[in-house]
Amino acid sequence: MDNAAIAKGIREAAKKLLGEGKVDVVIGYAKGTVPMRDYPYFAYTPEEAENLTWSGFCCNNLALYAIRRPGRMAVVAQGCVSRNLVGLVNENQVKRENLYVIGVNSPGMVDRRKVQALFPGQTITEVEEVGDELIVKGVGFAEKVARKKVMRQNCYTCVQRNPVISDELIGGEGPASHGGNLDKVAAPWEKLGSSERWAEFQESFKDCIRCYACRDACPLCYCHVCFVDESQPQWCGKTQDEADVATFHLLRAFHCAGRCTDCGACESACPAGIKMRRLTMKIEKDIRDLYGYQPGMAIGAQPPMTLFKPNDPQDFIK
Amino acid sequence: MFARRRFAVLKNLLEYAGLEPGRLHFSWISSAEAQKFQQTVTEVTEAVKALGPATRMIKDIRKVA
Amino acid sequence: MSENAEFQPRIAAFLCNWCSYGAADLAGVSRLQYPPNIHVIRIPCTGRMSPKFILSAFRKGVDGVWVSG
Repeated sequence: MDNAAIAKGIREAAKKLLGEGKVDVVIGYAKGTVPMRDYPYFAYTPEEAENLTWSGFCCNNLALYAIRRPGRMAVVAQGCVSRNLVGLVNENQVKRENLYVIGVNSPGMVDRRKVQALFPGQTITEVEEVGDELIVKGVGFAEKVARKKVMRQNCYTCVQRNPVISDELIGGEGPASHGGNLDKVAAPWEKLGSSERWAEFQESFKDCIRCYACRDACPLCYCHVCFVDESQPQWCGKTQDEADVATFHLLRAFHCAGRCTDCGACESACPAGIKMRRLTMKIEKDIRDLYGYQPGMAIGAQPPMTLFKPNDPQDFIK
Repeated sequence: MFARRRFAVLKNLLEYAGLEPGRLHFSWISSAEAQKFQQTVTEVTEAVKALGPATRMIKDIRKVA
Repeated sequence: MSENAEFQPRIAAFLCNWCSYGAADLAGVSRLQYPPNIHVIRIPCTGRMSPKFILSAFRKGVDGVWVSG
């Protein structure tokens, strides 16, 4: 099923849910005012549900808006969002009975920076999706681009495109993966020596302006007070100094340990184009290797960092 | 025990990001193991001494201000 | 510190009140010699240990961190 048909399905489901009063709000996406930037949308009435859409530009993670939200809600969820919802249910941030999941198979979201990079210096005014191709239109040009070429990096290595939980599945199930290898994300650094890694790490994160967009876009970051905002004592400085940037990114990644579902919302939100998945995916791989856990795959699963086993690896302890 | 998992992941992460192996140490020492304590302090100090002064992850106030 | 003097590292040692802090106490009582480079920080339990302590220590310029439970 193509995206336009799925969008229609989502609208109809939303109208029905809101009309029958089963939910107070349907959280979905609406078409952005700028091409390739569909944004989270909250539909409270059946009329508002007309604005909902579905496309390959739905880069935000909607699980974020379900956190501690009062009342009943329906959330449009592809694979990663549903995994985050499962995680939030397991962490007692969302009540399953208040949640209605409108499941969708993810087509693989498009990285707008990759599309823009193909047309340097040109203004893109519209992007249409036709099957596996995008038609990029601008002033005086219209070109076809294969979706595979401009997909977000995390969508290549996705292992769960179908929703894990869904009360209603629109468009049916599709293939589970795009065929990328999740273990390879961290591999380029793992081969390097210590000082080269440090140089690479500095290079990757030097553009960080500490806007915390990655934190705000992340459905895992729901602490009432984030460690970067704590001022007494201050754990992490506010400057763009390399130590402060490193502290922020390492700790942010660490807080996602055993919880990150690789939804890519952080990278999509970053105004500086920083690849923070390099860090989160290293942890994801460690958690899989050490404790055999994949986050968000089953309701009722215990997060690995809240558990221990007597035979956990401990060769690093003297 | 919970800390063990935390440290395993953290140590891997820091070394992945380029902190020298040998700057960060973990150990289990019971309160009766004074010998082991002495031995571990010596080991840790030797390891850090061999690496020299830390240059990474330090906030240099002179550079920032 | 002059250039030719041997490098004396500063090491932040996070010691659990019930385990290693006791061991340090016992080492003192037993008059065991150990290097003076460690700066002991007592924590109520190794479970109190948070990664931000470690990163904060590095940020403030220690040459090594040792966590002992």
